[in-house]
This record gives sequence, C-alpha cells and structure tokens, in this order.
Amino acid sequence: MKKQFPIWLGFALALILLPQIFDTVLGISILNQMTIWIIFALSYNMLLGQGGMLSFGHAVYFGLGGFMSVHALNLIADEIIVFSITLIPLVGGAVGLLAAVFIGSFSTRKSGTVFAMISLGIGELIVASSLIFADFFGGEAGVTGDRTYGPPFFGIEFLQDAEVYYLGAFWLFVATLFMYLFTQTPAGRMANAVRDNPERAEFIGYSTRRVRFISFCAAGLFAGVAGGLFAINYEFITEENLNALTSGRVLLMAYIGGLGFFIGPIVGAVILTLMNSLLSNYSEMWMLYLGIMFLLTVLFLPRGFAGFIMMHQTAWQNRRLGTLILPYLITAIPASLFLAGFVGLVELSHKGDDTLSFFGLILGTESMLSWGILLTLTGIGALGVKLSGPRLDAAWVLANTVRSDNGGDAQ
Amino acid sequence: MSLLTLDAVCKSFGSTRIINDVSLDIEAGEKHAIIGPNGAGKSTLFHLISGRYNVSSGAIGFQGKSIHNLPPYEIARRGIARSFQVTNIFPRMSVFENIRCALLWSEGYRYSFWQLVGRQKKLNEKSFGILEQIGLSDKAQLPSGELAYAQQRALELGVAIASGAELIMLDEPVAGMSNSEAENAVALIRRITEGKTLIMVEHDMNIVFDIADRISVLVYGEIIATDTPENIRGNKRVQEAYLGEVPCDA
Repeated sequence: MKKQFPIWLGFALALILLPQIFDTVLGISILNQMTIWIIFALSYNMLLGQGGMLSFGHAVYFGLGGFMSVHALNLIADEIIVFSITLIPLVGGAVGLLAAVFIGSFSTRKSGTVFAMISLGIGELIVASSLIFADFFGGEAGVTGDRTYGPPFFGIEFLQDAEVYYLGAFWLFVATLFMYLFTQTPAGRMANAVRDNPERAEFIGYSTRRVRFISFCAAGLFAGVAGGLFAINYEFITEENLNALTSGRVLLMAYIGGLGFFIGPIVGAVILTLMNSLLSNYSEMWMLYLGIMFLLTVLFLPRGFAGFIMMHQTAWQNRRLGTLILPYLITAIPASLFLAGFVGLVELSHKGDDTLSFFGLILGTESMLSWGILLTLTGIGALGVKLSGPRLDAAWVLANTVRSDNGGDAQ
Repeated sequence: MSLLTLDAVCKSFGSTRIINDVSLDIEAGEKHAIIGPNGAGKSTLFHLISGRYNVSSGAIGFQGKSIHNLPPYEIARRGIARSFQVTNIFPRMSVFENIRCALLWSEGYRYSFWQLVGRQKKLNEKSFGILEQIGLSDKAQLPSGELAYAQQRALELGVAIASGAELIMLDEPVAGMSNSEAENAVALIRRITEGKTLIMVEHDMNIVFDIADRISVLVYGEIIATDTPENIRGNKRVQEAYLGEVPCDA
C-alpha cells in the first residue's frame, strides 16, 4: 500500500485537474459519464476478472440502485425525508447490496454456465417486472427526479454539471480505493483462488460458494453506488438502465480494458465512454466499429488494452522500449491508411444518394472513382501492414531478449 | 485410539462397486502407504476420505468424530490435508500467493474482508517459511503456472502441508519425475511430514518400502493385506495379486 501511495495521489490529482483541462460542456458531461461507468465496470470485474463469474445481468444491481436513488431524490424534494444528495450513492449501494444478497444466495452455488444462465434469467425477470410494477419503475417512460432539493452541501446545490462531477469524482475515488483494498483481503485473495481452481480451494478449507457470495455482494454494492451516481447525474432512469444491453455494455468495457488487471476496466470504461459520446456524433455506424473492436480484442488482445500495455514490461525492464517506437510508427502509417479506407468504405456504403466528405474529397455512392479511391487506400494500407509486420516482429523479439551486459537482473 | 478409522466403507458408481467393504485403522504418527494395481480404487479411497466423494455405505472417523459425507472444506478444517495426482494449484497466482492462500483458514482469517493480507506479518513470515521448506523461495513472485513440473509438484506439497494438518494424504507425489527429482521429493516428503501422520498412494515400490511403516494392498476395491513392509514382501496373496504382475524394478 505504501509503495502505491504515489499512484493514488496521482489518481486523485487527475480527478481534480481533468475538468480544468476539458472544461467544455461536452467535456464535463463525458467526465461525468466516466465516473459512473468506471465504478460500474470495476464492480463487474470483481465478478468476472477477480472471481471467475461470467454475469449477463450485472445491470440489475446498477439499475435497482439507480431507481431507488431517483425515488430518494423525489422523497427529498417532497420533504418527506431530509437527506443530503451527496450521500445518494450510499442509497444506491445499499439497494445493490440487498439485491445481491438475495439473488447471490442461490446464484453463486455454481460458477460457469449455470451462474451465467441464472444471471441472464434474473436480468430478464427484472426487466419484465419493470413493466408490471409501473409505480416503482415508471413503465417505459421511467422515473425522473431533481437533485437540487435537500440541504445544500456547504452552499453547493448541484445546479451545475461541474459540481456534480466533483461529487462523482469523490465517490469514484472512494469506490476505487475500496474495491482495490478488497482484492488485498483474505476474501479477495480467495476469490482469485476460487477463480483459478475451485476444487483445490475447497481442500484448503474454503467453501467456494461462500467465497463467490462475498464477491457477488461486494460487486452488487458498488454497482449500486454507480447507479446512485447515474441518478444524480441524469436525474432520470428507465428500464433501459437495468436491461441486458447495459449488462452487455459493462461486460464489453471490462473485457476490452482487460480482465486480468485492476486498471483494465478503468481503461475500458474510458475508451467506451469516449466512443459512445464522440464517435456517435460523427457516424451512425459507431456500434459497428465498437463490435469490430471487441472482436479484434478477443482475437488478438485476449488480455485487453491493459494487457497490451503490460506486455511492454519486459522490454521496459530490458531498457529497450525505445527501440520499438520506430517500428511501431512504421506499421502505424499503413495501418491508419487501412483504417481510413475501411471506415470510408463502411460510411459510403450506407450513404445512399448522399455524399461523403472524406479528407476534403466529396465521394458519392454512384461514382466508381470514389469506390476505387477507397478500395485502393484500403489495399495499400493492408499491403503496407503486411510488409512492415515482420520488421515489427523482429524488433519485438529483440526488445524482449535480455541484454547480455546486464545478465539476469531483469527482475 | 486410531487417528483415522475406516469402517466397512463402500463406494459404487451406478452398479459398479469401486470400493468394497474397506476397513482400515491409521495410528497417529504412522506413515502408511496404499499400493495396488491400476484401477484398484486407490484414488477413489483418497477422494472418500477427503470428502470429494460421498460414501455409499460405511463410516469414516477422524479423531473420534465421524467425517464421511462432509464437504471437503469441513474435512480440511478438521486437519486432513491432501495433494493430488495431477498437479492442482492456483496457476495464475504467484507461488507465494498459493502458499499464503493455503494458510489463510488455519491462521484464522476465515472470509475476512476487513484485513489486508499484506499487513499480516505473521502470515507472510509463515508463508515464506514454507516456501523455504519446499525450496521455492527464489521463485516466490513467479506465477505458479510457469514453474517447471518438479517445482509444481513441490508447490503442490507445500499447499497441502501449509495448514499444519495432522493427517497428510499424498496421491502419487513423485509420479512423472526423473530419478534425481524423485530423490529430492522423497527427502522433502520426509522433512515436511515429520511428526505427522501420512497416507500415501505410490507406484514406485522403492519409495514405498523406504518411507512406509505399514502398507495396505488394495486390489479390485478390497484391502487384501495391511502389514509392515517386510511382511507384505513375504505375503503370498500379495505376490500373486500384485507384486507378481508388476515386477519390482531395481
């Protein structure tokens, strides 16, 4: 913990400074989304990455926490209860925890397919009941609230997004710290052991079911905290926030970021939030790109983006990381050409009668020349990647070979 | 009183009877070997004692209390530790973490989520002590899945003995090792089971006759003899059933 103090300090500083750097309305809005999704993705990784439980219904705890939080906001607004909205994430967390205690009591009996199927079933069950219990879930319209009532927090009334950001950042820091600390407790270590080898865990004295149950409850708690933040930020919530789409999205975040690393889901949440908020402005096809990215991650980066970064540890220890820069750049140029060509083809293919503005060129679906340019670009890019690939491979091998002059002290 | 008592234990899978009316008493401090041809039911017997399988009939007692049909973690908590024929460790965790996890329950941490393992001085010192005993101190931070085979077997033993269990059960601890590796492993087994009770399944007769105080011979799910190594060597039935078939390699 002492060794990691600088990392936590840096994390806190980054959280404080980020809204100063990205101070536009859009920037703050994206940062607000990130605080929510990072907590949610980290909580998901307590199940999948740390505990080996593949859940298709984690949005249930996020959503239930969120719904209860919006109701809490309304109770505060109606002056039925007096409660600071800064503590709303605790309401979400408590609801997430309660739901997880109840559902986990039977779903954590087995891991693997059984667990995955139960999580899927519970998810569908809750979505179905959200349309039946319209008083609580608000039917298809959802429920709305207002965060500006209740006692002000040192004069702050959370009228502005920036104020909400700092509230979110505070909870993000606290939640991340506690989720990290959990991994370092006996229950957290045994979650890893049960993930690796449930059979052996039983023979060293641990009930795998109880170990999973504890992780499951903790994951539900933090998903609920994220749901509470969602309620404060958006001031409304619908059935969409607890359905399979949201569950799938958090799975993608954790997976693309990297399940094996604590920071993996943070990376994944940042990437997906950016894609969701920025890319969607430029292209209707952004979901396709997301899908392709997920596919490529599964195929070529099974340890996610965090794993890709960590792959360079050996080269770093060998003090040869620098030798990789040039080969990376040489491959990156044709790779960008390929990417540009490919994206151009995808975009042009659904333009119909419209035209596509492509790096100053106006391309039309009717023009053979347009298709020709894009196909050539894609082809040249692909060829370039293929030609420069072996050079990158060779540089990679060299960078990961221990230098003879500093022998075995690579560790 | 015997430490472990098996009383008329039977185990069937469907209509196939794998273990038939096995009764056995293991004294505290004894080094007991179970031998027998392939498919005799030696591993099944281990699984019955350690709780992986439930018995079909009969009773198993440990320290005077009945333990059959308890879940494995209950049996482990009472002081029976075991290793596996196929290496069975936590491959993605470090060597040190493997040992530390194996210590958690016996050190009283249970399912604690309010203590940090890194801060538990005694726990960490004890883990390093066991690593030293099994000769893996210099590999402490390596993911255990990356260890060489013989080292993984040593870690397997370490995970089994870490809890300080009274009864240690080893299922073919030196299978698949070279001669020199097996020699080291035998020395290690002697060292770590000193003052403990040991039940061992092993095919290598030299090792069996070397380590064991008493030997039980299991053939087709039945114990046909339990005796000292000398008497087992001279036993006609054993020679017919077992030693005659598999020549004792020098």
